[in-house]
Amino acid sequence: MDEHCETILILLSLCALLSPAEATIDDAITCALQAIDPYVKQGYIARDDQWGGDLGLREQKAIPHTLFKGNDYWFCMGTDVDNARVAIHVYDSKGKIAENDAWQKGRFAGARVLAQATGTYYIIVEVTSSPKERTTWAMVYGYK
Amino acid sequence: MCCGNVSDSRVRAEPDLESDRMNKSRVVYVTTVFVAAISGFAEAPPNHIDLSKFPATQLDDVVVPLPSEVFNVLDKLGTPNWQGELREPTIKNRGERTQIALQLGSVVAEGFVAVEAADKGRVQEIGRDVLELARAIGVESTVLSRTNSIITKADAGNWNAVRRELDGALTDVKNAMIELKDAQLAHLVSLGGWLRGTEVLTSVVQKSYSPDGADLLNQPDLLKYFQERLAGMPPRMRNNQLVAKIQKGLDEISPLINQKITPGSVRRINEITGQMVKAIGSRA
Repeated sequence: MDEHCETILILLSLCALLSPAEATIDDAITCALQAIDPYVKQGYIARDDQWGGDLGLREQKAIPHTLFKGNDYWFCMGTDVDNARVAIHVYDSKGKIAENDAWQKGRFAGARVLAQATGTYYIIVEVTSSPKERTTWAMVYGYK
Repeated sequence: MCCGNVSDSRVRAEPDLESDRMNKSRVVYVTTVFVAAISGFAEAPPNHIDLSKFPATQLDDVVVPLPSEVFNVLDKLGTPNWQGELREPTIKNRGERTQIALQLGSVVAEGFVAVEAADKGRVQEIGRDVLELARAIGVESTVLSRTNSIITKADAGNWNAVRRELDGALTDVKNAMIELKDAQLAHLVSLGGWLRGTEVLTSVVQKSYSPDGADLLNQPDLLKYFQERLAGMPPRMRNNQLVAKIQKGLDEISPLINQKITPGSVRRINEITGQMVKAIGSRA
């Protein structure tokens, strides 16, 4: 390989390094916060804490959480991966669906629970479609 | 997508989150409706799932509720005598880091009681206590602005904001400990808050027992989580006299929470958690 080709290869490698960054949890958190924002405006208190990671296509993850009877919760999920779709649903400790409302819109999803009993609930998050092998996601919740 | 899913009423299209900047012309409206129609509806989730499939893919930690989630419900249960639920300040007797971590959680939970009692002076005192404990454990800078806000907002009687700052202080302290590779201490902060919160909860419930109130104690998985965290601590922490005492107390509470919660069990849980909170505030 002559010196000229070598230089081009090095420049191409540098270009690859300088290309748009891969999706990060921080970006996914921003999306999840964007999803919960309308509920914050409705008086829900968004917890200043986030859960997240990356999931393969159709892979699910369960997040156990003690919910208190009388509280009204919104759980929101987001990903920053363009053209990905995510879903979030909530089940009670017997595996029965517990949400009172749910929506899914592309990179965002939400589920509402008006807890009818105090106990452990399972927030199930899933990537339903994505152009990537692994999709970063984040979940936040609010309550009132 | 199966057409049958579209008719499911629980799964619906949410207003477009990214459409705020769009003008509201008719064309855009029609476009939005169309987009919602083709992409807003999702596959309906199954009505029942087999949770036994999940342990392998569960996140490591359960979500430990914030004190405000419990107090939010207590607000709706009536008007207890919150002033009577306040404890005397206890942090004069701080000991090792394990005890300080437990005290931090307990003091923050105390802050919620003081907020319920609308006791400005006590809330401000608790704000200063949180700062002092955070300083003793090396995370002072993390909570400085929070504690200043607690004091200022309590002075203004902005109780909802004080609650948010107390929640935030707890989260910030735990995150700082995790960053310092001290996750064990972070668990103790959570546990300290849970113990004091449970003591108050049982005190309120036993004074005016109702099944709804008692139902708030149905937290077996959370208790198990704390038991597992203590059991998984390195021996030097696990063998700490206070930690061992708390572990024993949790073991006593466990059967009471894992069955139908009666007025008797509420009273007993109150006694056990009261002893533990007292031990947390006592000289080691």
